[in-house]
Amino acid sequence: MNNKPTLGIYGFTGCAGCQLAILDCEEQLVDLFEAADIKVFYEAMSNNDDEAEVDIALVEGSINTETQKEELLEIRKKAKILVAFGSCANYGCIQTMAYGDGKWEERFKKVYGDMKFTVGKAIEPQPIGKFVKVDATIPGCPPSTQQMLMAFTKLLNGYMPVYPNAPVCLECKLNENECLLNKGIMCLGPLTKGGCTAPCPTHNTGCVGCWGIIDEANHTSELKLLIEKGYKKEDIIRKFRIFGGNNIAEKIDELLEVVK
Amino acid sequence: MKTIKVNHLARVEGDGGITVEFDGNKLTKVNVDIFEGPRLIEALAVGKTAHEMNSITPRICAICTVSHKNASVRASDRALAIPETDKTCSSRELMHLGEIIESHSLHVFALALPDFLGYPNVIAMVDKYKDVVVQALNLKKFGNRIMQILNGKFIHGENAVAGGFGKFPTKDELLEIKKTAESFLDFAIAATDIVGGLEMPTYLEEETVFGCCNPDNKNEFGYWGDSIIISDGTIIPALEYKENLIERVVPHSFAKRSLYKGKPFNVTALARLINLGDRLQGKAGEFYRKYRNDRWTRNPFFNNLAQCIEMIYCLEKIPVVVDKLLKMEDTEIQQPTRMDGRGVGLVEAPRGLLVHDYTFKDGKITDCNIITPTAYNLDDLEKYIGIAAKNLNDAGEETDTIRFELEKIARAYDPCISCATHLVSVVKK
Repeated sequence: MNNKPTLGIYGFTGCAGCQLAILDCEEQLVDLFEAADIKVFYEAMSNNDDEAEVDIALVEGSINTETQKEELLEIRKKAKILVAFGSCANYGCIQTMAYGDGKWEERFKKVYGDMKFTVGKAIEPQPIGKFVKVDATIPGCPPSTQQMLMAFTKLLNGYMPVYPNAPVCLECKLNENECLLNKGIMCLGPLTKGGCTAPCPTHNTGCVGCWGIIDEANHTSELKLLIEKGYKKEDIIRKFRIFGGNNIAEKIDELLEVVK
Repeated sequence: MKTIKVNHLARVEGDGGITVEFDGNKLTKVNVDIFEGPRLIEALAVGKTAHEMNSITPRICAICTVSHKNASVRASDRALAIPETDKTCSSRELMHLGEIIESHSLHVFALALPDFLGYPNVIAMVDKYKDVVVQALNLKKFGNRIMQILNGKFIHGENAVAGGFGKFPTKDELLEIKKTAESFLDFAIAATDIVGGLEMPTYLEEETVFGCCNPDNKNEFGYWGDSIIISDGTIIPALEYKENLIERVVPHSFAKRSLYKGKPFNVTALARLINLGDRLQGKAGEFYRKYRNDRWTRNPFFNNLAQCIEMIYCLEKIPVVVDKLLKMEDTEIQQPTRMDGRGVGLVEAPRGLLVHDYTFKDGKITDCNIITPTAYNLDDLEKYIGIAAKNLNDAGEETDTIRFELEKIARAYDPCISCATHLVSVVKK
């Protein structure tokens, strides 16, 4: 009983979908509660132990207030292995789509006016890797049941999860879909981390890029290709940014240079 | 001075707490604190297309993803005068029924029921209530399955867009949904009797106001419409929601607040049954009449029972919608007939009234306002937390007991704090 690895599941800012994805493992949920000694899981339990040191910390969400930043640093101290769990934690997801444009404060003021909040000072949203060392990742918006359970199984047995470095296109081809780009539908599959089994292209709606940018993604080539297909430069760049997080923010100037 | 604090609400979505302060026996402060950081979705919406909005806004909240999707496609369709085919309309409805089932079964059985049966979480209930827990998780899974079939993924699918669907479900998938719905009806009925048999606390009873979407068909129960119906009989047209449900910012919450005629109001499943319950037919109607009593308008705990009755409604409605869909041909995604305009999409998320209000110019968003049910509910929740805290304190209850009861009230509203925090801006460009 006491040999079970301890697990903490912590949520910062996002849609809470990654924690919900755990609850959505309906059949395996009981197994998970048996395989791990779960110390913290606010979305599911009321007997949480905030102070507990844990073997594995799953951290969901981006960091959007100073208080969250401090809490994250505390979790890092208490955790042997810290896992960035889902898109917000890994790269920031939609709340970082305008990252680095210098207008965050202006947007904050537009929404809240001059109110002085008592619940923490808000900051421009950033992924957790900006503040702490991340030992492992589970990608996804939200993570797929299959990939997440595989990652849990490895982590709880002392191994690190690894994923094939393949874009959505690979799984899309395995589903025997005709390429949407040939059907006149914009798709970010070539730039996006796979693992989702390509449900969106399979339903004739283009990949929006929600799992984040794949390693060595060739944005320049995709941008040129889409321009050739008749899409407007600004529409393509906007699409890149929506789920591009701060990874794309660093590439924007370079991309704009290419199509000048 | 005595302070009772719940630092971190458990078994709810997102990050919130409660602070109650007494000076002697006088209640001096009641705050539902919302810590979840702001994402400024409405500000980020500016410059986006309708289809991009349909993909971005469901990410406001995972457990309301389909409600946000339906509010988003309705707002987009209305703003850009995009026709809605019958096939699209019924497919959206089916997807919505899936979300109501998924969310309600999670909330009633996994989040709320442990409170009433004395457990810290649903898994701890397995020993004594194995059948209920397993069936509840299966019902939840069925809700997810419907969303996966209709929307492509069970959380944040991209299949539903303004104007239609990328791909409609196959006949086999529809028949699977129908058959499974029928198989769960007995469980939903039994579960309603379990929840209906629980004693609801009496320490907080006081009348309040209820609001929900007013379905276009005046004889039917339903989860959307182009106006809001208030329990005092007032009908508010969708485009006038802002003038009637007044918003404000408070310092202890990144979620904005709303009042109707200066008063808090409730928009939960309980509001839907209070305003529209007389329209329920079949078993849902039967169980509504069995359990409806005059405490419902004074006690938010009855939301749990209202959600059970809605699960019966959904399971009875699904076969009807599937039969309609089976007779319809697939339709193409419909295109905008204008590029400028404003549209308000009103839907009932599982936890209440959800508003998406979009203004487009040249096909891109210039103004966006989103108000979520939890934001609407927060003032009503604070009101009842205040009443309960005072009454329990006057009765000499221990601080720990009071804290637990206050948390239980918060959970009864099925709050979704992820949703509540973004709120509500008018972004002018």
